[in-house]
Amino acid sequence: MSGYSSKGGITRRAALRGALALCAGAAGLKSLPARANTTIRWWSTQSSPEQLAAYRFQIAAFEAQHPDVRVLFEQTSDEGYPAQLAAAFAGGNVPNLVTHLPSFAVADYWQAGLLAPFDPVIESVGSDRFFAGTNRVYEIEPGVHAAAGIGNTAANMLWLRTDLMQQAGIESAPETWDELRAACRQMQGRGIYGAQLPYARNSATSLVIVCFIHGAGGQILSPDLDVAIDSDEAVDALEFYRSMRELCPPGATGYSWGETLGAFVSGATATGLYAGRVLVNVNTRNPRLAEHVTCVPFPTVSAGVPPWTFNDYPSVFIPADAPDLEMTRRFAAWLYEGEGYIRQLHATPGHILPVLQTAAEDERYLDHELVRRYRDEIALMSTSAAAGHNLGWESPEHRINVKAGALVNSGILAEMVQRVVLNEEQPRTVLADTARRIETIMNA
Amino acid sequence: MPTIRAASASLRLRSLDARYGLLGALLIAPTVLVFCTVIVYPLVSAIYLGLFSIYTPTMEGEWVGLDNYRRLLASGEFWRSLANNLIWTAGTLTLQIVFGILVALMLHRNLVFRALARSLVLFPYFLSTVVAVLVWRWLFNDLYGVLNHLLLWAGIVDLPVDWLGSMPNAMISLIFVGAWKYFPFVVIAVLARLQAIPDELYEAASIDGAGAWARFTDVTLPQLRDVLIVVVLLRTIWDFKEFDLIYLLTGGGPIIGTQTLPLMVYKEAFALNQMGGASATAVLMMLIMLLFMSLYLSRARD
Repeated sequence: MSGYSSKGGITRRAALRGALALCAGAAGLKSLPARANTTIRWWSTQSSPEQLAAYRFQIAAFEAQHPDVRVLFEQTSDEGYPAQLAAAFAGGNVPNLVTHLPSFAVADYWQAGLLAPFDPVIESVGSDRFFAGTNRVYEIEPGVHAAAGIGNTAANMLWLRTDLMQQAGIESAPETWDELRAACRQMQGRGIYGAQLPYARNSATSLVIVCFIHGAGGQILSPDLDVAIDSDEAVDALEFYRSMRELCPPGATGYSWGETLGAFVSGATATGLYAGRVLVNVNTRNPRLAEHVTCVPFPTVSAGVPPWTFNDYPSVFIPADAPDLEMTRRFAAWLYEGEGYIRQLHATPGHILPVLQTAAEDERYLDHELVRRYRDEIALMSTSAAAGHNLGWESPEHRINVKAGALVNSGILAEMVQRVVLNEEQPRTVLADTARRIETIMNA
Repeated sequence: MPTIRAASASLRLRSLDARYGLLGALLIAPTVLVFCTVIVYPLVSAIYLGLFSIYTPTMEGEWVGLDNYRRLLASGEFWRSLANNLIWTAGTLTLQIVFGILVALMLHRNLVFRALARSLVLFPYFLSTVVAVLVWRWLFNDLYGVLNHLLLWAGIVDLPVDWLGSMPNAMISLIFVGAWKYFPFVVIAVLARLQAIPDELYEAASIDGAGAWARFTDVTLPQLRDVLIVVVLLRTIWDFKEFDLIYLLTGGGPIIGTQTLPLMVYKEAFALNQMGGASATAVLMMLIMLLFMSLYLSRARD
């Protein structure tokens, strides 16, 4: 019984023994003590190479302090997180920690009882270290925070190419829509488009049109959360948005955040609507533009309407069913600590703006090439973001809208834009229909 | 005594039959168990969930009976998605069959580098859908895409074409990419059958004076009939429920111009968090597919 058949191959019995031995070996391996007793799964929508490097630094430092803990970073995306988190919640396989989701997503999950209160983390970080009012948007129920901000973002700044403005004889940044459209027309040509607004059926388009409706002086919902989109201001916004189509690349009908950023950074458009990530991307991917970019608050319909900054309030939250809650809270607080937090901010200077006053004033934060070089732009974005709002909290008078996430994910607002711009339907008719659809979701 | 013996023998036989019956049941039990786990349970579960209004993240909800079905059948979105589904399936399937047969006929001839050509033609089918979509999105890109550059260079268009963001371009692009991705399956099946057609049939047809076209319609096509029935059946099922290619290429847009039923199921389940509505859509989709398949198979048998 050598284990080989007369033909020189392995006998069935030998193969069976081998298989059994492998199974036994595997079972034995499984019973060995694991090196890490606790695994913390961290999801984020923000994962550029520079940000990943900062996260790796924070993870390594935390793991060094807690040898029995392993932190696993998993990336999601702005368009993909609703489905991934819904599946994770439904399947009971939730991550320990989720960062950089907008505040309106937090409100949605909180009202469904899916999140753990975040106040212990805020206390651990030190509530007095946060800028005053930073975490107000997460206080969905009085006295309890569903999450905390990990940064601020001024997502709808108007980025300008000063070299093209000079060539076109434009002396100052546009402040109204008419000025913006005229400037884009003047700068468009020689393979460069005037603007890069998104017209796709996605969350980027939904969120951007909210900015334009507010820029016209309108609102989606009233402070008491009654539907208010069917208004003259919204008609103005849609008509202006439609008029900008000819100044955007043809493929803008498929643009999300990534494509809008790429279009401006690559030099294909003269203006851009985006947050501070433009700075690091221009400097690393298209340095010849580095001297020629600046940003201003996005123009409004007229000088009488103040700019409305879209701050998605990037958050940190912990799902209620997350295992190892205490260690997760410790890690969440760790994300705000010292050099690690500053590295996060430096990964995308001006994009994720500090929510900790102590970090904003820290010499280590200020002593960064891009932070120094674009000091005025970053200061403007910080001020704008601090006064910013989003669909989940449209103004200081508004109640927190826990249905904002559902509204964005439903695609109703993006479809409204596409119906007006691509199908050339009458804004008034489309708005009436959109108002009905929003009402259905709000009442659901 | 003989009566007792006969009765005893009969009892033994019955007991043997029973034991054989039990053994048979035991032997098929694993198959039945797997069948119930992977087919019956999900099916029953989908039908059951379709009768509730369920919030996906918590999987909690309330009984609504047939309301989900009533809502769906009354909504324009469902019928538009079904129409898109039929246009996509019919369009891409037709192109797959036509390209597939043409390429198979070409590869059946004595070409130089035939073996290499046969390997290369399978390439799109083996390519991951995500990779294929990335490549096509890049080709279709308005600012840097090769297609637009070529069209502009040739003076065919003055401005880049919006391939994926406007109608009917988006549906046409989708159908074309689908055909490119899946026609190799038709090539494999048809080529295998072509190699099994006896040469005598072509020789006899030639002697009877049949030209190339007549030989194709009177000999090749009838010989391919059985394999084409199976290919059309399989590809219809697969194309009808195609999700990843459409979702990644157009996301169902513009508006809902390329939204098919599988995308609607996904949207209901994960964007709107309505698992009940998603299940009801999936059940209706299955019924529609069953109906079409029954009609197709009964026609094919005739």
